[in-house]
Order: sequence, then C-alpha cells, then structure tokens
Amino acid sequence: MGRSHKKLLNNLEELRKSAGLTQQELSESAEVSRKSINAIENGIYVPSTVLALKISKTLDCKVEDIFKLP
Amino acid sequence: MGYFKRFLIIFISGAVQVFFASYLMLELLGFNLGWHLSNSNIMFVPGVLVFLGAAYLTFSYYFLDSQKVNNALYDEFTALRAYKLGSVGYGLKGMGIFILFSIQDWSNWSFQMANSMIYQIAAFAWLVFGVLLVCFSVGDYQESKIG
Repeated sequence: MGRSHKKLLNNLEELRKSAGLTQQELSESAEVSRKSINAIENGIYVPSTVLALKISKTLDCKVEDIFKLP
Repeated sequence: MGYFKRFLIIFISGAVQVFFASYLMLELLGFNLGWHLSNSNIMFVPGVLVFLGAAYLTFSYYFLDSQKVNNALYDEFTALRAYKLGSVGYGLKGMGIFILFSIQDWSNWSFQMANSMIYQIAAFAWLVFGVLLVCFSVGDYQESKIG
C-alpha cells in the first residue's frame, strides 16, 4: 500500500505502474484531471464510488484490489 | 480552454476585486486615499469582470471545449477544492461581518452611517471573494506548469 488517506488505504500507484499507465493516461480514461489521480495516490483525496469504479475498470481489476479500509 | 487560460481569467478577476475592495475598505475605514471615485463605481468594475469571466467560462464549457477538456477542468477533486475554499470564505465573512457590526457607532446612528456600513460589508465580501479566487487560480497555475 502506498501513501494513504487515514480512512482509506490505496494501492493505486503500484497498480497503475504495473499496467504501464501514466497519471495523465489514467486520468483521461477515468474522465478526471491528472491532479485527482495524483491526490488519490498520495492519500489526499478519497474518490467517489463512480470514480473508483472507473479507475478499477481502466486497470482491469476489482475496486477492492485498489482500495482497502485500514 | 486549458488550465493556464482559466488561471488568467480567474486570477485577473480575483486580483482586480482584491484591489478595488481593499481601496474601498480603506476609504470607508477613514484612510483618505484621494482618488475621488464613488463607492458604486468602485464596486462596478470588479463586478463586470467577474460577470464577463463567469460568462466566458460557462460559454466555453458548453460550446467551445471538448468533453475530455471539461472532464479534466471540472472534475470532483476541483469541486472539492472549490467547496473547501468556499467554506473558508463563509467563515471569514461571518467573522468580518461580526467585527464590522461591532465597530459601528450605534449611539449616533444615521442613514449615512447605515449606508457606509452596507458598503463596508459589501467591500469586505468582495475582498474575501477576490482572495479566494486568487487562491483557486494558483492551483490552476501549478497544474498548467506541470501539464
């Protein structure tokens, strides 16, 4: 797990890199700004359900693989 | 529309507001800067800029930009940033209005003083709003440098 929000652990950076995507590419696919992806990866921001599902769809994995409760 | 263009629009609107609102606040609090501008004229200039800026941003969103650009510029993280700044603004305005009410000379109250107090409240609200616009625009500037 990377740098995480106190209420939500995330593994986004690792999964994104293993998928060979940059933050910009993932943000375009998930229809948000690059800043949002960066904020999620750094534990600054907890995404909405819709955004979490879009990210998981792009990375072809389950939401639970990316986000976990502490 | 990109981050830098939105930064320019919001920053200029905010900075002009801060300038005119600061001037009006200083005049109303007794510092005579001597520019001989009427209070209503001072309030008019930033108002027009904000109106034009907001109109252009709205027009751009619906008619000029692609969905991809809009997704990046107006996503949920940006909305959260705007919401947080707005909350700070409400807090500051509440405290400012409390202070402005507290410093009035209620024993010699007159219509002229009431008029002056209304301008003080308006100028303070403009000042806070302008500062928040500038703060918001800084985020766009940082993103434009990275992008």
